[in-house]
Amino acid sequence: MSARENILSRIRSANKVGEIRDAIGGAVEDRLTTHPASPLPDLTWNDTERFKQRCEDAASTLDEISQMDDVPEAVSRYLTENNLPTSLVCWPEFKKLLWSKSNVEAEIRSALGDDKVGVTGSYCAVAETGTLVLLSGQEHHATTSLLPETHIAVVRRNRIVKTMEEAWQLIRSEVGSLPRQVAFISGPSRTADIEMTLVYGAHGPFRVHVIIVDS
Amino acid sequence: MEITSQDFKAVSGAKLKDEKLQKALFQAKDGFVVSRAKVIKDLDNFETIRQAASDVRDHCLAHLDEYLEAWESQAKASGTVVHWAESYEELNALVVKIAQDNQVKKIIKSKSMVGEETGLNKYVEGHGIEVKETDLGEYIIQQAGEYPSHIIAPATHKSKEDVSDLFAEKHQRPRLEDAEKLTHEAREILRPHFLDADMGITGANFMIAETGSTVIVTNEGNGRMTTTMPRVHVAISSIEKCIPTLDDFALMMRLLPRSATGQVISNYVSMTTGPKREGDHDGPEEFHVIILDVGRTRVLGSELRDALRCIRCGACMNHCPVYQNVGGHAYGWVYPGPIGSVLTPAYNGIENAIDLPNAATLCNQCGVVCPVKIPLPDLMRKLREKQYEKDLKSKTEKWSIKLWAYLAVRPKLYSIVTRVMARAGKMLGGSSGQIKTMIFAAQEWTKHRDLPTPRGRTFRDIYVNNKKVNKR
Amino acid sequence: MRVGLFVTCLADLMRPSIGLAALELLERAGCEVIFPENQTCCGQPAYNAGDRHTARDLARKVVSEFSDVDYVVIPSGSCGGMIKTHYEDLLGDSPDDEAKVQWLSARTYELTDFLVNVLNVDSFDTSFQGTITYHDSCAGLRELGVKEQPRKLLRSLPYVELKEMPGAEQCCGFGGTFSVKYGDISSRIVDLKCDDVESTEADALVLGDLGCMLNIEGKLRRRGNHKTKVLHIAEVLTGRNGEETE
Repeated sequence: MSARENILSRIRSANKVGEIRDAIGGAVEDRLTTHPASPLPDLTWNDTERFKQRCEDAASTLDEISQMDDVPEAVSRYLTENNLPTSLVCWPEFKKLLWSKSNVEAEIRSALGDDKVGVTGSYCAVAETGTLVLLSGQEHHATTSLLPETHIAVVRRNRIVKTMEEAWQLIRSEVGSLPRQVAFISGPSRTADIEMTLVYGAHGPFRVHVIIVDS
Repeated sequence: MEITSQDFKAVSGAKLKDEKLQKALFQAKDGFVVSRAKVIKDLDNFETIRQAASDVRDHCLAHLDEYLEAWESQAKASGTVVHWAESYEELNALVVKIAQDNQVKKIIKSKSMVGEETGLNKYVEGHGIEVKETDLGEYIIQQAGEYPSHIIAPATHKSKEDVSDLFAEKHQRPRLEDAEKLTHEAREILRPHFLDADMGITGANFMIAETGSTVIVTNEGNGRMTTTMPRVHVAISSIEKCIPTLDDFALMMRLLPRSATGQVISNYVSMTTGPKREGDHDGPEEFHVIILDVGRTRVLGSELRDALRCIRCGACMNHCPVYQNVGGHAYGWVYPGPIGSVLTPAYNGIENAIDLPNAATLCNQCGVVCPVKIPLPDLMRKLREKQYEKDLKSKTEKWSIKLWAYLAVRPKLYSIVTRVMARAGKMLGGSSGQIKTMIFAAQEWTKHRDLPTPRGRTFRDIYVNNKKVNKR
Repeated sequence: MRVGLFVTCLADLMRPSIGLAALELLERAGCEVIFPENQTCCGQPAYNAGDRHTARDLARKVVSEFSDVDYVVIPSGSCGGMIKTHYEDLLGDSPDDEAKVQWLSARTYELTDFLVNVLNVDSFDTSFQGTITYHDSCAGLRELGVKEQPRKLLRSLPYVELKEMPGAEQCCGFGGTFSVKYGDISSRIVDLKCDDVESTEADALVLGDLGCMLNIEGKLRRRGNHKTKVLHIAEVLTGRNGEETE
């Protein structure tokens, strides 16, 4: 017998399948198709405010703008204020924006090891924890939020959901099956592995800047 | 990994005298305990959520075969190659085979406790393949040639000075003294490896049956790199890590980071479902998952079953008065602290870790912080019972208890003996009221502290006497 | 109401004033106190050593000795926890025993829990003056939920100031046979506890479990601290200093 068969058969015998367990048949099927909700904590906060608060707690910085066309200006402002390079790579969804008008040099491609600034969108964001939800895909280069020292993420206000459960529900209804990777990002990369001292920029970005867009 | 738990007594004694370690443990304790306490309050219904998580884990274990099959079929549908391993050797050999099939020269690795169990790095390196640990803590101990002393903070036993010396020697660069500079030096050294490694190995905090996914939870971003950059990704996990649905995962995520590092959520939660898709710019061309069963099914069918609910947060060790003072290496295997005191004998044989279930005060500081309500003291007690049945307990302890019980079920004799003890004990203490030295097993008590003396008469004597006086 | 007093083997042998104080507190509150004279040990040492058979014998003995009372009160969280939370595991496999254990466990109370939550007592005749710091014993706190009860009682005393120590809920390192089997680890843990006690500069350390008392007092004295009194809460509430044998 294969390792697989051996292991499964040992599990069945440990669980006394056929003696005790079969009395509750169908439970697995049920749970997998209905994915019942678990008890939730108090969620009576304002979603945007909570999201902003939690972003700040996670050491992300924030900006709010009224329309997508203002993204280059907001990005430019952030980069200049923080003395960061103004050339960047971004996701294809920002291709049509007038970057050069804001003196930003934007390339539409995956980030490589040397790129300093990456601009991404986000599928949605979770208010409870201040988390960006990024789905991998043809238009969503994963390295852009990972390799550069600065990650700028654009979040549409109406895509801020309350909980991770709501994010899953959105993905189930809009996307169907999961993409290769769902990345939940909450603030810049960090570690405290040396004497519990918190240090940013362990392997991923040193900075995460979140731009919330109204429309 | 080779087990050295039988040396617990000797090693823990040395660890108590290691001042550098003591300083590091003190810092870690403060950090973990205080930050967890703060962030737990953030949930208004923590206990309800904790119970729900415990229930989900129980449900999952009761249907583990079905959930694993469901997981496997979803995983295969998304292009994941699924392997099963019944021994450490088998898992290690599978990893090497996948590496060789893909002409892999260099592997980057994100932290995996299963990998520590199987001794994966040594095995893979033995086949001429380079392995780089990338979690900062794991990187530090890999450079130092040690093994983790904590499941989420592997290098917590190392001081900053230790790391300064280590990096200066290994990196051949000027010695740095600042935690930030040391971290960034490691970043700089490891970055090229992320970019040119052929294969990535990660653990998996969870496997989600609903979608056939694996998840890793990290703060540094090395996990995302490892699952994204190399052309082959291998995740190694064990059967009990399977949970039913994405919603159940959301539930676990309210507890895991809070219990582990005192965070509301960890920085990077990366859920992987299959290899690179058509049109994707990044991600591995092959994605393998190896599911291990060494010891798990045996525990599943035993009285220690509840231990399989563990989600590896480390809260039990962070809150354990014994761990806090001796550190993780004293436990002599992969998992230290209370959960280690259960899993180490459960997976390696109780005769190979006699001390661990006994070296606990049963204070239950671990049980009350466990996010999935594992009754750790009860499980340690069950292991003590097993030791007793197999005649593995110390003779002194066994016969002291037997003698005590012999008296305790004979109240007349008991009252005479205790009357004598109360008198003799009072005399021994003299005017100080403290006994300073005792013999036999009791000498361990007075080696470290005084024994306040009995008061000369037992309660029973006084009570019986008073009753007589009152009657008169 | 008929209240059975389980005085505990440790208090019987080492510190009878705890039993006398408990007796006095219960009688003053109007209870008819029964002290089954054949009582010895609750079986916890055997249970924690893995000697289930012996533990079971002793548990059965306790169950039968307290079969005709309304309540069982114990001046110890540790023995209280043993009866209330572990006897079922020991005796639960026989339906006859199980019923008896459930009956007993529902009636079993740690002393301060009983005073506060059953008797609603709040006035005491005590001469104690000064600052007190309270150590939560593990079993009392985590098995029986004894936390506020002793503090409420101590706060009601007119000349007492309660001063919390850091880490009051942290284990003192006693752990029964742990204290001698792993003496150096136990010693380190109780050393840290003594640091916390001394940091409050309280006149007295008060607690509800004699095991922890012997451990912490023994360590304080060995460290040369002869000043900090170490008292059981029942002793404090009845103005005893722990010395007299009456």
